[in-house]
Amino acid sequence: MKKIGLGIIGLGYIGKVHLRNSLKLTDANLVAVSDISKRSLNEAKKDGAKKTYTSYEKLLKDPQVDAVVIALPTHLHFECAKRAAEAKKHILLEKPIARNVAEAEEIVSAAQRNAVRLMIGYPLRFNKVMIPVKEQIKSGFLGDVEVAHAINVGSGPFYHRAQDYAPSPVPEWWFKKELTGGGALIDLGSHMINLFRWYFGEITDIKSHLGYRFNLDLEDHAICIAQFESGTTGVINVGWFSQKYQVKVELFGTVEHVIASNIPPNRMIAAAQMLIMNNSTFWQPHVAELGYFVNCIANDIQPSPSGKDGLKDLEAIESAYKNPIQLNS
Amino acid sequence: MSLVSFVKVNHTNHDQLKQAIVDSLNLIHYRPPSKLENIVIKPNMCYYWDYSTGQTTDPRLVAALIEILREKTSPEIGISIVESDASAMKCKYAFKFLGYEKLSQKYNVRLVNLSEDKSDPVEVTAGGQSFSFMVPRIIQNADLKINVTKIKYSLQKIKITCALKNIFGCNPYPKKFRYHPKIDEAIVAINKAMKFDLCIVDGNIVSGIQPCRLGLVMASRDPVAVDVAAAKIAGENPNRIRFIRLASVEGLGKTSFISKGVPIGYFQARYPRKNAQKKLMSKAYNIVTSIGLGKRLGLE
Repeated sequence: MKKIGLGIIGLGYIGKVHLRNSLKLTDANLVAVSDISKRSLNEAKKDGAKKTYTSYEKLLKDPQVDAVVIALPTHLHFECAKRAAEAKKHILLEKPIARNVAEAEEIVSAAQRNAVRLMIGYPLRFNKVMIPVKEQIKSGFLGDVEVAHAINVGSGPFYHRAQDYAPSPVPEWWFKKELTGGGALIDLGSHMINLFRWYFGEITDIKSHLGYRFNLDLEDHAICIAQFESGTTGVINVGWFSQKYQVKVELFGTVEHVIASNIPPNRMIAAAQMLIMNNSTFWQPHVAELGYFVNCIANDIQPSPSGKDGLKDLEAIESAYKNPIQLNS
Repeated sequence: MSLVSFVKVNHTNHDQLKQAIVDSLNLIHYRPPSKLENIVIKPNMCYYWDYSTGQTTDPRLVAALIEILREKTSPEIGISIVESDASAMKCKYAFKFLGYEKLSQKYNVRLVNLSEDKSDPVEVTAGGQSFSFMVPRIIQNADLKINVTKIKYSLQKIKITCALKNIFGCNPYPKKFRYHPKIDEAIVAINKAMKFDLCIVDGNIVSGIQPCRLGLVMASRDPVAVDVAAAKIAGENPNRIRFIRLASVEGLGKTSFISKGVPIGYFQARYPRKNAQKKLMSKAYNIVTSIGLGKRLGLE
């Protein structure tokens, strides 16, 4: 069976994770990478990328590339995803699908028009602790889930970055609303909204309270209350304000409660895993996600979470932004 | 010998912080010069960590200091808060995210990015090493320069950050990590190039092995004495910290001091110190990153 030719567009933080993971796949070949940074391209070449391009347009013209992973800043998703679809490349597009619903609709429609598969990167959907929760809901083990909490709190873009021992600044696009479409809600909330939509079905109503501890023009934390078609009320709590990382869901059913937490391994264990396996268990969902995407392309299956899922998540987020809950401070 | 004052802050509110600064200054018999036109305040900003982490100066303490300075001098006195870009930190964002932009608006003080300010080259030596720094004009021309710093552990070999290390942030050159191979000499050299008149330590929240509300305000005219006191509080032997010894040899201050106020032992007992395991981890981290394995192990 022919291996899927993969291209990675964007070698920022998450692009490098995809690069590392793509080299582990048995049914795909990493054909090419593109980035504007020559330094990142040289590193990628050393890591095993066969071809490097300074523009994604050139990568999209490469006939050996069947599918692309788009790991660019959010404001570049629209143009890049449309062009990838027009070049007949299947697409794994990092979340959020776009800055706004209008752009997301265009991306979905471009993928449909060109008959290419479009998947949105939501690694929690491939997380070993989050998947059994879906089974517990489906099997009735929890009874009816009345209330569900989702937490995704960390340092967000303030995560301390370094390259070759030299600290590097947070890319400035993170701080511009016109480039991101929003703050913690669109960045981290998209993960949790997608996960809860997978668990509980469509959102029928959503409101949000936004917080601004760091005086940014966009929110650094958000609490959403959402009503799902299953009858579950979800509280989604996301933030960029903490040095401590936590991703957790708590479901309270009429019969049972369940807590699922994505805990990163401690640094010593992670370092040992990196030394032995060139990967850490923390990145397992990303490995599974990319493997699933390749499998969908190889077997002509519509991936899930799809582009339409990404669009629905963004519709919910836009609705949350438009329905604020005001609290007196 | 130099005087170093230690004052306890019981509750973090504006009045108590203000009173603690006043008390700390009184204990070292400090009065601002009567004829002042412009004052420079250098807080400690480190990346975009906010004051609650113990890594950066609390803007509320700086606000209290501004009020004191204006009360003791003139309400119209020009005050500038200065910082420079660093490898991972852009000043314009640090001022905004850490609350200094709001402070600037409320108190009508200038925020100055030293990396964008006019500066002049200065040659300076320390520990036999020569350095060429750009010294910002605003620092050269200030009538009073106040170093408002933190006490915290440092991952690098310097062990602690307090008064002397904070002035390293006045170097307008952003890629400060390039000085790391000669960090001890660089810290001392920059303090020789830019001598500050007064140190106030925001030890209300400190960063040890974890952040801790220590409730301390320290003051001194002597940055070396302040660093010796800070090292003692953090459980480090100041005689084994090279930049402190070197600063003393180079005449920046004295390693012995007279304590005023609350006994230093009170704060020493409460500082969240490194245990043996943390010390070992810290050494292992330094070795791994220094031999270039940090990226391979996912530590960078």
